Amino acid sequence: MKAIEIFKGLGLEYEELKVKGNRAPRYKARVDPEKLEDIIIRFKESGFKHFVALSVVDWIKDGNLELIYHMFSYETKEDVFLSIYLPRDEPKFKTLRHLFPQIETYEREAHEMFGIYFEGNDRLGEFILEDWDDMPPMRKDFDTEKYAKEKYESVPLVEEGGEKE
Amino acid sequence: MNENPAPMAIPEEDWKKIQRMLSKRSLWMIHFCTGCGAMEMPPTMTSRYDMERFGIIPMATPRQADLLLVTGYVAVKTLKRIVRVYEQMQDPKYVIAFGSCPINGGIYWDSYNIIKRLDKYIPVDLYIAGCMPRPEAIMDAFLKLMKDIDEGRADGWIRYRKYYDKYKANQMRVFKRWDE
Repeated sequence: MKAIEIFKGLGLEYEELKVKGNRAPRYKARVDPEKLEDIIIRFKESGFKHFVALSVVDWIKDGNLELIYHMFSYETKEDVFLSIYLPRDEPKFKTLRHLFPQIETYEREAHEMFGIYFEGNDRLGEFILEDWDDMPPMRKDFDTEKYAKEKYESVPLVEEGGEKE
Repeated sequence: MNENPAPMAIPEEDWKKIQRMLSKRSLWMIHFCTGCGAMEMPPTMTSRYDMERFGIIPMATPRQADLLLVTGYVAVKTLKRIVRVYEQMQDPKYVIAFGSCPINGGIYWDSYNIIKRLDKYIPVDLYIAGCMPRPEAIMDAFLKLMKDIDEGRADGWIRYRKYYDKYKANQMRVFKRWDE
């Protein structure tokens, strides 16, 4: 089933994205966070069986975090991006790992790098970063240069006598 | 104590020289492939450049290796494993840091998770600069290290023992815990 037909059946507004040098059809739609689960189920049943990725964009000026669920259909060779917006101060969403198991890993990463809490996912916790003690590092207001200077440049050199065997 | 020690056939100083001469000729290397530097190792190991000419062969386990190669950037998580590998190796042991990332961070100079300078945490005997160093540079470094060993200048493992507390304190500044 074509993505356009599914969008029309659901009554969703969508925009067609164009990428230079790639003519594969791709569509983006902003959806209501509460309806996202049903929409993903609808797409999954209509041939979009490949969950590609879950990515996060930090729109710091608007005070939003955008979560984008990427899906792909092998039948029609179409990409669909479903995006939701969460408030930046307290980003909270429910887990969708029962739809595609790989979502769990993406949610763990989004939790660690952006501080988004996914209700129902019990494996959120230390994932890629080890011994981390600051705010999530992929947020726009995290000053990575200052952090690197404070943490690593302040470590003193070990004095060496240069003695021989 | 022993009142009549057996006379040493070879004086202590000379014996150390022989030890060094022998150990420089058979360096078994464990390469800790942390970054893109690992890509330069296959041509160095295999028939094109053939480092076995100098008695250097890749080894699978740290406990049987003499030489630790850190090939690329070192994250905090990786450093913990490197220290673990380094402490398992038997004396005498040597470290070569490979590429510009373990020298000052390289292209990761402002990264939040890359330790910038490796020799603040473990002693490094030799640095190879470059991004990436070519196999010729690696061979050159091996020859330099062999010369250093022969002349007794590659003493990182002695320094690690002597300043163990300081190295440990530096390591614990970036680790939150050391258990697991």
